[in-house]
Amino acid sequence: MRIKGPAAGMIGALLTTTVLAACTASNAATGGPVTINFYNFNDPSGAVQTAVTNCTQQSGGKYVITYNKLPAAADDQRLQMVRRLAAGDTSMDILGLDVTWPPEFAEAGWILPWTGTYKQQAEAGTLAVPLQTATWKGQLYAVPYNSNTQLLWYRSDLVKTPPTTWDQMISDAEQLAKEGKPHLIEIQGAQYEGSTVWFNTLISSAGGSILTPNAQAASLGPPAVTALSIMKKLGTSVAADPSLPVQMEDQNRLAMEAGTAAFELNYPFVYPSMKTNNPEIFKNFKWALYPGVKPGVPAKVTIGGIDMAISKYSPHPDQAFQAALCLRDKENQLNAAVKGGLPPTLESLYSDPAMFPSYPFHAEILSSLQTASVRPQTPAYQNVSIVISHLVSPPSGIDPPATEQAMAGQINDALVSKGLIP
Amino acid sequence: MTTQRTEVVTTGEPTTAKAKHRKQLSEGARAERRLGWLLCAPAVLVMIVVAAFPIIYAVWLSLQRYDLRFPAQAHFIGLSNYGDVLSSPYWWHALWVTLVITVVSVAFEFVLGMLLAILMFRTLFIRGTMRTVSLIPYGIVTVAAAYGWQYAWTPNTGYLSALFNNSAPLTKTGTALAIIILAEVWKTVPFMALLLMAGLSLVPEDLTKAARMDGASAWQRFMRVTLPLMKPAILVALLFRTLDAFRIFDNIYILTAGGNGTYSVSILGYDNLFRALNLGIGSAISILIFICVAIIAFIFIKLFGAAAPGTD
Amino acid sequence: MAATAKQKSGWITANVVTILVMLIPVVWIFSLSFKDPSTITDPTFFPKKWTWANYSGIFNSSDFTRPLLNSIGIGLIATFISVVLASLAAYAVARLKFPGKSALIGMSLMIAMFPLISLVTPLFNIERSLGIFNTWIGLIIPYIAFGLPLGIYTLSAFFREIPWELEKAAKMDGATPFQAFLKVIAPLAAPGMVTTAILVFLFCWNEFLLAFTLTATIAARTAPAALAFFTGSSQFAVPTGSISAAAVVITIPIIIFVLFFQRRIVAGLTSGAVKG
Repeated sequence: MRIKGPAAGMIGALLTTTVLAACTASNAATGGPVTINFYNFNDPSGAVQTAVTNCTQQSGGKYVITYNKLPAAADDQRLQMVRRLAAGDTSMDILGLDVTWPPEFAEAGWILPWTGTYKQQAEAGTLAVPLQTATWKGQLYAVPYNSNTQLLWYRSDLVKTPPTTWDQMISDAEQLAKEGKPHLIEIQGAQYEGSTVWFNTLISSAGGSILTPNAQAASLGPPAVTALSIMKKLGTSVAADPSLPVQMEDQNRLAMEAGTAAFELNYPFVYPSMKTNNPEIFKNFKWALYPGVKPGVPAKVTIGGIDMAISKYSPHPDQAFQAALCLRDKENQLNAAVKGGLPPTLESLYSDPAMFPSYPFHAEILSSLQTASVRPQTPAYQNVSIVISHLVSPPSGIDPPATEQAMAGQINDALVSKGLIP
Repeated sequence: MTTQRTEVVTTGEPTTAKAKHRKQLSEGARAERRLGWLLCAPAVLVMIVVAAFPIIYAVWLSLQRYDLRFPAQAHFIGLSNYGDVLSSPYWWHALWVTLVITVVSVAFEFVLGMLLAILMFRTLFIRGTMRTVSLIPYGIVTVAAAYGWQYAWTPNTGYLSALFNNSAPLTKTGTALAIIILAEVWKTVPFMALLLMAGLSLVPEDLTKAARMDGASAWQRFMRVTLPLMKPAILVALLFRTLDAFRIFDNIYILTAGGNGTYSVSILGYDNLFRALNLGIGSAISILIFICVAIIAFIFIKLFGAAAPGTD
Repeated sequence: MAATAKQKSGWITANVVTILVMLIPVVWIFSLSFKDPSTITDPTFFPKKWTWANYSGIFNSSDFTRPLLNSIGIGLIATFISVVLASLAAYAVARLKFPGKSALIGMSLMIAMFPLISLVTPLFNIERSLGIFNTWIGLIIPYIAFGLPLGIYTLSAFFREIPWELEKAAKMDGATPFQAFLKVIAPLAAPGMVTTAILVFLFCWNEFLLAFTLTATIAARTAPAALAFFTGSSQFAVPTGSISAAAVVITIPIIIFVLFFQRRIVAGLTSGAVKG
């Protein structure tokens, strides 16, 4: 099978370069620096790449970190890693896991526990709730890299004082609607992880939880009914964006920037975006803490973020632990916050003046992270999440008592991987 | 008996010639057989090597309870997975959605494809450009086209949504399915048209000319002369298109991610296989999809007479 | 026979309608690729603010250019081999008598019908153990295998329609078997083969699941799979502009490819062989 002409030359050259690159990378066995393969989401800000370069230099020749990019969508990232871990692939060392994956990966035996000095270094100065996401059955399985939490973003030209509860926010929005002003409340209502996060935040803020403490059965109960009622209330109110049932974080951001919304529940990435895309609205673009469910009780916002874990099949676990600790150290987390807008997991950074210019909301984020909630910790989390998101989206279709019943039954099935998921 | 023998004995030479002829025939037939196998061998080899093991493995998996995270706990449970799938409302809903999408989109694609094929074959002006233009939708990467449609239908962002009063058609099952069908049809009409046009090109012109001289109208010429002669090409086009439509995935995944009740059987299989990592159930769903598709192929071949080429 | 004015205007209208229906969604993608990210929410069909940023962005790193090259190379090689193998088999099916024909057709159909989702994981495991995971050959072989059913079926249907007696007639007129094949059969077979080649190439070009599963880096990743790695200005942003720009860039080779090959179809049709 011959390819003709210049095409052959180009293809040949490219293949040769690839082979050469692979060869140079694998000369580690001969005593040169070890290659540590770091798999993480594709960071558009360049902060991760900078961290990789810095840590390689700081290793003093011990190891070379290669930044391998994963697909954009979390589900696709998990899929790529799971497939290769299940096959015992030795070419992955450090894994950038979404905060909901450590229990699943740990239970499957795919990641190594952190012990001894590594554990101490990982825990030193790290916020408690992100650490909780990396803990499974009493052991630490990953080191938190960055966190993420939602704030209430609102337009101060429409609303003088931000609401502190959902009921208040909805009635504020309905009042604005009557006055003919932009009045939509932007929240993620599509049938995906985002709506599970919304539900988890509400039920936690109402004092309940999705699973029992031992994660063997569904808990739900009256707090779930409260949470579902709020979601239904929004879904059927004039404050709901017509696209709510298919909206994700980015669509919320776009709607807010288009000027049709008054409130937005979203992550801090919307702030620099509004500044660039709509300077007019940006003048009145303010933030506040996420509204709670009970008056006077702060909300327990469900956090997101990335934890770094070490693959069980890594040929160089020691170097991998060290590299991971470097990648998430103070300097690199600060850089990621300032350049990429990702909230750090080291508490001391929140009082570091270097953060303030691009992070004027650092106090609210810290406060939010300290009272935060986490999503159910179970290896069957994916199933549980799918079941929940299918029942709460579209929000207008919720019937609080009936949905709560159905959810309990389906979650109990999902925990034992019984039956199909939709 | 005796008379025959006498005939055989008395007509010595012609018998030997006939016998030789018969022997040569079967030698020629044997040579033809060998040539036939030889020509098919490379294709068969590639297909077996690549697909045989995965298919058998998938069937084997469907008979086990196998969670990818706990391979050590995998065990044989017979047809229990199939029972779970067939008794699940999710499966039946997905099947219904898939059938609706398949039937409606293939029907549209056939009619529009035929019209487009005629145009690509016979239009009087800029025929070359028309053919190129018509193939462009099929050449655009499905994912990119789907994103284009999604943005077009999002209220306040898209031009199509604006035409419909800024409602959010992707959020309601009925309209969402219509949009999915529209995306599918737009993308694959060129495929149909291409196959149908090649079929058109094989209809001998003298027949249509003769019909015209006999006074048949364009419609009559089309229905009585062209269409019947195109039957093999039509059935190939319909068969392949139906098989593909039944397994629709990309467009639904991008447009609605299967939300709001728009999930097809492939999306159901994907979710159970890759998100729940339930290899047993996911494989069972895949086998069931295969059985449905096989039934469709059977219907086409046996009932509509889609000549499996070479079997007449 | 000259066309009447009514016929002419009929065809012109048909042409215009077809062009609009086929191209408006494409022009929309074009316009999305030129829209400045700040105006992406504008429902206007054409951008209010034009920018080249999306294009310069995707060509900035090899994250896109390399997959594009992979797509072209893998697609061409797989199509060529697939069409050659399919032609041989289709010729045998259409013209020769041998047992096992229906088994062959049945097997091709079965492979064409089997849901790919349940095959990708076993294929992944096989390729990993053979060491061809994340290589060109690792995608070319499956593409050939999955393009064959379409090729065999389509080409058998075409080859059956060819009047093979013409070959005998040419031989009787004194042509050698090879000349008979080249001058008489090949032009008749050409439209079918070109059609099949286009279809198989577009299958390889558009294919996502295998490309996504069987590759890990841009060494072998093709363009559709690369789109899944595109990221916007933040980890939540859907990179509409980049995806649209990439889509436009990916479509241009297709347009050239199609433009070149559709002329071959015309040549085959007007070669005069059909006029018995």
